Amino acid sequence: MFKFDHKSMLVGASVVAGTALFLTGCLPSSSSASEIKSASAKVSTTGVGPYDPKMGALDGGVTYSRENGQYTAYRYNEQSTKGVDHGRVPTANELKAWDMDIMPDGTGLPEGEGSVEDGDELYEEQCAACHGEFGAGGHGYPALSGGNQEKDENGVIKTLKNQRLEPGMDAPKRTVGTYWPQASTLIWYIRDAMPYAHPKSLTNNEIYAITAYILAANEIEIDGVEMDDEYVLNREKFLKIKMPNADGFYPNIDGPTAIEDIRAFFADRAKNIGSGTRCMTDCKDPGMTGKEATVMKIGYEIKDVVPAYSMVRDLPPELEDKVISKAEKLYNENCKLCHASDNMGAPAVGDVDAWYEVAKQGNEKVIINAIEGMGGMPPKGGNEDLTNTEIKKIVEFMIDSSKKKH
Amino acid sequence: MAKMKIKAKAKGDIVKVKAMFTSLMADTEEAEKKKIKVEYITQIVAKHNGNVVFEVSTSGFMAENPLFKFQFKGGKKGEKIEFTTTDNNGKIETGKKKIK
Ligand code: HEC
Ligand code: HEC
Repeated sequence: MFKFDHKSMLVGASVVAGTALFLTGCLPSSSSASEIKSASAKVSTTGVGPYDPKMGALDGGVTYSRENGQYTAYRYNEQSTKGVDHGRVPTANELKAWDMDIMPDGTGLPEGEGSVEDGDELYEEQCAACHGEFGAGGHGYPALSGGNQEKDENGVIKTLKNQRLEPGMDAPKRTVGTYWPQASTLIWYIRDAMPYAHPKSLTNNEIYAITAYILAANEIEIDGVEMDDEYVLNREKFLKIKMPNADGFYPNIDGPTAIEDIRAFFADRAKNIGSGTRCMTDCKDPGMTGKEATVMKIGYEIKDVVPAYSMVRDLPPELEDKVISKAEKLYNENCKLCHASDNMGAPAVGDVDAWYEVAKQGNEKVIINAIEGMGGMPPKGGNEDLTNTEIKKIVEFMIDSSKKKH
Repeated sequence: MAKMKIKAKAKGDIVKVKAMFTSLMADTEEAEKKKIKVEYITQIVAKHNGNVVFEVSTSGFMAENPLFKFQFKGGKKGEKIEFTTTDNNGKIETGKKKIK
């Protein structure tokens, strides 16, 4: 399996599809096939940079030189882009960069170490804001801990069997401690995806420390040892972790006999999954609890829609092209973003009072303010390419559009 | 099972404490709905050097695994803070943590 991140998603997806075809994702949205051809002529197609996957690195961290002495992160596609058969075989470096799984058997698990205490510190700085103190969640983000791993007589964690049969009952608790069968997923997830806003910013020692802290918060024991503050997690100890719910998943989908095992499992549905008996008559009391099953009724039925749904199947009449002035067009492109409302603190176009105040300074001054910027207003609305005359025209349009209509 | 997680950090002579107590905090009504045992913490006391620095009465109105934060004056790194919880069934649990 390949791990995607948002940068390699597009490319990664086609690898998983198992095809040798390969979209490089290098097509700038506006370019046509002919532009691509001319672009590829200017770019070398063999990587020149070292293999060094880092933040922002694409294409396995390889950089490609361009003729003007600059570098690009993309390998240009030289194959035909006609039809659907375009793309290319990924380079070895690309595969290496995308195939970054950390597997339960230790494949891909980096060397490193970190203590629960250091992890606590890091967690508080970088994770607690979203995931809550001690990993308890509660801020709308997933909880990372849930210490209750009590098991029933069949070895199933009790809180996983929660069923929301009635209002007020709890849903199954699926946290790292109660649900996740492998710790490798945790360290892998943290390394590649967290902290949310700037993933891949943690060092290997830091990911060990934070993982140790989260495991400790879930009261996981490693090789029979409780993880106290001084506990230092490293690669060797990590491989000894057995998660409480490691055996909670069935059928077993691992190993060379996996396919037969799965077939055998599903062959005996009744025993392995429990098919139940379908109730066709007198089903009011399915659990035989003496209580009638609650039947949910819609309390507030929507009876009509105002205005009523139209049954007319014609397309709406085409509006005649409204001819807009050049000034309005420029306004739409450059200024509307902030001036359509006063949300940004800008005088909203159409707001008579606001523009009355602005215009009081005299048009000359207002135009100079628009050119030079003031407060939250960037010079020329942030578009240096606009000429002073254009700004003047736009401002006049804005003032005109914000006058009292008679 | 009412385990606790404690964190205490000294800055100057002020110690900031966070503590979370594992309990479903289920009062009679809630327990009946969820078909679980009635079990909730009724009192939490924190002591430092034998002096009570924090004390609350709690009940099933609190959410599961309640979290408390408070600070007190006069603690030092290396000293200990000790918590005692009592639940509705009279069960007492204690937990200690070194101030960092
Ligand atoms: C800005 C908020 C934010 C911060 C900060 C943050 N996370 Fe997350 N975390 C999320 C969100 C959102 C998800 C769920 C992502 C999804 O399901 O797509 C998540 C998911 C996770 C998960 C998977 C949980 C599950 O049950 O699926 C783990 C583990 C995790 N984060 C660890 C961390 C760690 C460790 C840190 C600090 C280094 C951290 N997060 C910082 C928002 C955050
Ligand atoms: C990024 C948001 C933003 C954009 C884009 C923007 N403005 Fe503004 N504009 C503001 C804000 C905020 C103010 C209010 C500034 C203040 O009062 O301190 C403002 C004020 C103004 C004023 C009134 C100046 C005065 O004297 O009170 C004019 C005129 C103006 N903008 C013109 C323009 C024009 C023309 C454009 C497009 C070329 C533009 N703005 C684009 C945010 C923006």
